[in-house]
Amino acid sequence: MNFAERMLHIDRRIIFLMIGLCTLIPLLYPVGLAIKVSPEVKSVYDYIEALPEGSVFLLSLDFDPASKPELYPQAVALLHHAFKKNLRVIGMTLWLPGTGMASEVVSRVAREEGKVSGKDYVFLGWSPGASSVIINMGQDLYKAFPTDYNNQPTTELPVLKGVQSLRDVAYVISLAAGSTGIETWYVFGKDKYKFELGGGCTGVIAPGLYPLLRSGQINGLIGGLRGAAEYEVLIGRKGNAVAGMDAQSATHFAIILLVILCNVFYLLTRTSKNRAEQSLR
Amino acid sequence: MSFEVILGAWVATGLTLFILTFLYQDNPLFKLAEHLYVGVSVGYAIVKTYDTVVIRLIYEPMVMQGDWWLLIPLAIGALMLTRYVPKAAWMSRIAFAFVVGVGSGLAIPRVISSYILKQIEDTVRPLASLATDGSTTFTYSLLNPASNLNAIVLLIGVVSVLFYFFFSVEHTGPGKAVARTGIIFLMIAFGAAFGYTVMARMSLLIGRLTDLIEYAQPQYGRATWWLLAATIATLIVFHARRKGTEPPQ
Repeated sequence: MNFAERMLHIDRRIIFLMIGLCTLIPLLYPVGLAIKVSPEVKSVYDYIEALPEGSVFLLSLDFDPASKPELYPQAVALLHHAFKKNLRVIGMTLWLPGTGMASEVVSRVAREEGKVSGKDYVFLGWSPGASSVIINMGQDLYKAFPTDYNNQPTTELPVLKGVQSLRDVAYVISLAAGSTGIETWYVFGKDKYKFELGGGCTGVIAPGLYPLLRSGQINGLIGGLRGAAEYEVLIGRKGNAVAGMDAQSATHFAIILLVILCNVFYLLTRTSKNRAEQSLR
Repeated sequence: MSFEVILGAWVATGLTLFILTFLYQDNPLFKLAEHLYVGVSVGYAIVKTYDTVVIRLIYEPMVMQGDWWLLIPLAIGALMLTRYVPKAAWMSRIAFAFVVGVGSGLAIPRVISSYILKQIEDTVRPLASLATDGSTTFTYSLLNPASNLNAIVLLIGVVSVLFYFFFSVEHTGPGKAVARTGIIFLMIAFGAAFGYTVMARMSLLIGRLTDLIEYAQPQYGRATWWLLAATIATLIVFHARRKGTEPPQ
């Protein structure tokens, strides 16, 4: 077995260790590589920035704890931005397993910004049905959510004054980890009730959502941890996403290097096999 | 810092480390964390569903506000439970028919409009537009720098990929060239998707390692260090015990 063959049969745990170190070292000793803001993230920022004070902003946290590393920093950045702009924030989720986490992030950021539940923001919680919840909210928000997450009647909340349905919402953003999310909000919400829709998503589903962005079905898209880092840069509040970007770059570099090396070793092995076969003839 | 926060940090750290041990090899610590994840997820879902659906959306409106008409959807939903009684199982079809019928009725027109018509419109819109009298005008011009070259690339991509999946015609001659172009577009799409997937998976690792670094701080009782030591020690013990029970080669 020559060197190339030995490398192709390397214990995969060595590769795991290498990737682990490439992630860990930049987290411990950050370099601070530059982060360039993409137009799709800037569109979301610009739209929120242009909203007048007191506008209704709905953030649907459609993910569970499994997608927390990517979408939680997005939620934190968006909520800080919305609260800083004094928007009336409505939080909710279409994903049952993410209810507790969604409630925690909304109330935590609100507390940090000095906002009061019921007056400046409300977390509606989860309701079953996904698409039917959106349709229901489009007809009558109070029928879809008679009470908020804290069991307060939604009809009595000052934050919802003047809001009857989704038609009264200025901007909706869905932070999605799967098909129940941005697409559902577009198909059953925006298309019918004519509000502006933006999106934030995990890296895995981002390529599938770019057609919606191009066609104007969503006005902006925050993709993965990278998108969250870009948004943190835009609002001038560097958090976990920016901190993770050095590690992301290092791991990507390591993976590219491994892919190239693997191909080189494969080609070397194939060449040596061909030579061996020719010599046998 | 409150006791609950510290306890949560220790549990999160322990379970993260247990799951990561799978990278070394399958072991009981990983299995413990895996089973806990499944159990807690299901338990949480049951409790939240009961609280939201049964209590808040059914019991409270009916008993406190007198919305007794909710008995109708409740009865339709309850029909699904008849599947557990073989003789009455046919009644569950009524509930399923209702769900499928309403679901299809709501979804099909909206999905066709959003995913097919809107996307077709966006594909051809930069090239052609409809005049007020209903006639079509070709708006793209190679001589006009304002024309969008990306629109041409997209159109070629859409048509060639669709042709690649059109199996009624043999892919020979010019058809082969179109199908090959379609494959190239598909490969680029798969590459982009794979790149994003790698980015997403690395983000998850970054998230967990960020938490492990945070929980290694003294205010959390250096949970990461203690639990890392305990996990490694346990793995060594398991490894030694497994070695002892393995049949000789």
